[in-house]
Amino acid sequence: MSRAPLLAVRNLRIEFPTRRGALVAVDDISFSIAHGEVLGVVGESGAGKSLTGAAIIGLIEPPGRIAAGEVKLNGLRIDNLPEAEMRKVRGREIGAIFQDPLTSLNPLYTVGRQLTETITTHLHVSQAQARKRAVDLLGSTGIPAPDRRIDQYPHQFSGGMRQRVVIALALAAEPKLVIADEPTTALDVSIQAQIIALLKRLCREHETAVMLVTHDMGVIAETADRVAVMYAGRIAEVGPVADVIHRPQHPYTVGLMGSIPSLGFESERLVQIEGSMPRLTAIPAGCAFHPRCEKAFDRCARERPDLMPAGVSAAACWLHDTSARRAA
Amino acid sequence: MAAVVAPAPSAHIGEVIVAAKNIAKYFDVSPPWLNRVLERSGRQILHAVDGVDFEIRRGETLALVGESGCGKSTVARMLVGLYAPSSGKVEFFGRDLSEMNTASGRALRQKRQMIFQDPYASLNPRWRVADIVAEPLRTHGLIKDEHAIKARVDELLTQVRLAPADKEKYPHQFSGGQRQRISIARALATHPEFLVCDEPTSALDVSVQAQVLNLMKDLQRELGLTYLFISHNLAVVHHISDRVGVMYLGRIVELAPKRLLFARPAHPYTRMLLDAIPDLAMSGRARTPVAGEVPNPLSPPPGCTFHPRCPHANQRCRTEAPLLRAFRRAEGESLVACHAVEEGRI
Repeated sequence: MSRAPLLAVRNLRIEFPTRRGALVAVDDISFSIAHGEVLGVVGESGAGKSLTGAAIIGLIEPPGRIAAGEVKLNGLRIDNLPEAEMRKVRGREIGAIFQDPLTSLNPLYTVGRQLTETITTHLHVSQAQARKRAVDLLGSTGIPAPDRRIDQYPHQFSGGMRQRVVIALALAAEPKLVIADEPTTALDVSIQAQIIALLKRLCREHETAVMLVTHDMGVIAETADRVAVMYAGRIAEVGPVADVIHRPQHPYTVGLMGSIPSLGFESERLVQIEGSMPRLTAIPAGCAFHPRCEKAFDRCARERPDLMPAGVSAAACWLHDTSARRAA
Repeated sequence: MAAVVAPAPSAHIGEVIVAAKNIAKYFDVSPPWLNRVLERSGRQILHAVDGVDFEIRRGETLALVGESGCGKSTVARMLVGLYAPSSGKVEFFGRDLSEMNTASGRALRQKRQMIFQDPYASLNPRWRVADIVAEPLRTHGLIKDEHAIKARVDELLTQVRLAPADKEKYPHQFSGGQRQRISIARALATHPEFLVCDEPTSALDVSVQAQVLNLMKDLQRELGLTYLFISHNLAVVHHISDRVGVMYLGRIVELAPKRLLFARPAHPYTRMLLDAIPDLAMSGRARTPVAGEVPNPLSPPPGCTFHPRCPHANQRCRTEAPLLRAFRRAEGESLVACHAVEEGRI
């Protein structure tokens, strides 16, 4: 890809100050998203994946703060913008879809009012044009009779329909990037399939890049181009989706893939990673995964690995350190 | 106690332990009386479960799957006696649960226990683990001696792969997966034979889910347990169950041995569900999104409740509700409630 990446995150570190020192929730992570690319971010609860998404759109809840690093959109830093500037970026440049459609919609306003407000805030159009655009958007998300539904309130929509409205809202100002944080987790499987198909279609049509944050590897498998696996605030592995799923390189990814029950084959036991992810207050020294890792050796407890090439992907694991292997 | 003889551990499928006989549960969700008078509206009755029949045999895992609101959790609650069925009956070892409110029923009631979905809400945050796990022992008066209770709690915690030292801690000191182990230890305290598990892993992360599912399988083998497993996750059901019942709007639409159901689903709704799930093994495959949503259970469609979303629906489906009937194929026999299957149209 010759063009510069749409989004570049460099050495991002997010901290929560406490009386007993700062808790590091996201620790020195770097990644980029190209124009029109779908990057999946997976990890278990507390891995820092949602926080990373929130940092990009400038919505970290205090006392959490970005302690180091930078976020660049189209080459311009957006992590240090004043709130007024950031509000223009949010919605116009970056759209957001959250897990629970009920909390992202205002229950007191009609769906149409919320859509037209977003459109007129970011685009220079008249009220009438904005309303027409809102009806078109609702229609394109597959909501039947959009010209009638637009004057209804969020509670008059079902869960799946509400998430369609949220997607319409996120895409209202034609952003270049959409941060979708667990967009289908609150929905039933049959509705989930509809919403994922919709998100894929709309983003392809508008060439919108997506950062898809989810704990559901199945959703990533059929949606994302590349995937980043997060563990305890760091990226454990990043690579093309098929490689990460079928040829995982990091021991954590290997365990994670094995622990997902599959319809494709039958097994008596699932692969089990002993223990659970460390709490932020007790992240081990060295590689954060080493106490649970079967392949850990002495170096893992001492030094923290950065991402290094591993097959087609990159993994933060000393097993892939070729210089050390040559020396040994 | 004579009743606490553990059954011989065996994979052999034995006698019927639990039978649901045409059970139904209706909830009155009407607005208050004054509103009904002013708005001239009638009562509103929600048919959460509308005539469900099945049997579970010793050592077997029956799973019930379906989308939210299909009535699967209501069935689970009726089986353990948290809800009384509006009609029909639940038989446990051949005896009607509702007639067991006597001292003689007490021994039988200890034989069934439940594991709940949310390990954060189902454990009392102010109690130590020792008291949580010992509660059923004390309530049922199974063990009187405090030393013996302590020994039994240690044994239970070891059984669920926790350390006996953990009993001095409080629930907040444990992760989600460990808390679910505590719930399992509490459920096992009375030497149950039948466990109802209502979405036991859906609040957990996948790697922790794998630990809990493996533990449940191990315990089933070691203790000869019988499970009713409620889940919306078909991949989990595929892993853990022997037979699967698919529910839609309060009814079972298909009940089949696991392999048959996943290899050759018969009911259009089962096919739709299987098409809709993302699966790693089939990465890159486009899912077939199904049109439509689950209808409002307060006003279910007439005839087969699935007909508005079904590609095979015809006039008969719109007017006449199909019954759950045996459907024989070369691969095996299943129960299906579908006119199209019965008529051989699909």
